[in-house]
Amino acid sequence: MAATLRNRSRASLAIALIGLASTAADAHFQLLYTPEAALNEAAAIPLALVFSHPFDNGFTMNMGTPEAFYVVSQSGDTEPKTTDLMPYLEPIEWSGVDSQAAAFLAHPPRSVTRSLGDYTFVLRPAPYYESQEDKYIQQITKTVVNIGGLPGAWDEPLGLPVEIVPLDKPYTNWVGGVFRAVVLANGKPVPHAEIEVEYLNHEPQIDAHRFDPEGKVTAPQDSFTTLSIRADAQGQVMIGLPKAGWWGICALNLDDGLQHEGKELSVDAVLWVKAADMTQ
Amino acid sequence: MNRRTLGWVLLPLALTAAATVYAHNAICDCFDNGDETITCEGGFSDGGAAVGVALRVFDQAGKVLIEGVMGEHSDFTFAKPKVDFRVEFDAGQGHVVTIDGRDIEE
Repeated sequence: MAATLRNRSRASLAIALIGLASTAADAHFQLLYTPEAALNEAAAIPLALVFSHPFDNGFTMNMGTPEAFYVVSQSGDTEPKTTDLMPYLEPIEWSGVDSQAAAFLAHPPRSVTRSLGDYTFVLRPAPYYESQEDKYIQQITKTVVNIGGLPGAWDEPLGLPVEIVPLDKPYTNWVGGVFRAVVLANGKPVPHAEIEVEYLNHEPQIDAHRFDPEGKVTAPQDSFTTLSIRADAQGQVMIGLPKAGWWGICALNLDDGLQHEGKELSVDAVLWVKAADMTQ
Repeated sequence: MNRRTLGWVLLPLALTAAATVYAHNAICDCFDNGDETITCEGGFSDGGAAVGVALRVFDQAGKVLIEGVMGEHSDFTFAKPKVDFRVEFDAGQGHVVTIDGRDIEE
């Protein structure tokens, strides 16, 4: 009896370790965070660029200087305007629960975001070396913000090597609704793309350079931390939005055998969408 | 493409009907350019352009100080009045947006 219990305990420990290892290996998410997705009026938009595990406030990883960081703004049918945000990058140390890592903040002035319309923030981070997998990861990330309710080209691809293109306005989602998008690599849909979805459970506290230590929800089991789904045959993704806040969608391994410094480079596409409670 | 097409359908309608009823909310916002001019931008919640929509600037007594229409980029720039003012973006019945000059920031 005692031996059986010990064996069970060992088995449980082993399962727990496997669970932790898989979480650490599978749920990297590049954050391109700002508190609000839909602003009533023009305002300066603060941004936090952090590479972490957003559901469980897990291990936060060091970011190198991004390869590109800019915003594409557009309203109605006007020509899109691209503003380089690299000059606004501020290197900081960001704290996770038990880790601290190099990250960036940006406080572009109000003049950058004072027009009505859509603002798609784009981050092309430096490739990150993942020692557990002996490969580099680069998550090209988009966050779309709207000012004043005048829509722009939120549904247009930006011509990135890989990207998730919204089919629904990414800043206009009620809790309980669904959000759809298409995964593109080199401009073409990626059938059955491997997708991970995570809820930003620990709200970033930009001024404190950390995540809120208190999570909003608890996962009933480890596989709820990172939801794994597949795009359909047309490369379309649909996710539910059961809770207010930011949801990250990541399409994995969209590259075609790319290399970085002699190692495999996995190029992923990330899109952040926000859901709002109907009680507000 | 769809929005553009819709725009071309709506625009002639807007120009021919004096009291056009738009199917979507009118939106307008203004900012101070910091050079004694103000720029106002407008549009509709479906992404429709506001080209040709009237924009008026009033003083506190309701006198029209400046009158114009939104240009090809759905915007209108005017000299900042020396007195307190309000801006009225007039896209027809039920689609008037009023902005207090004191709320206009750089």
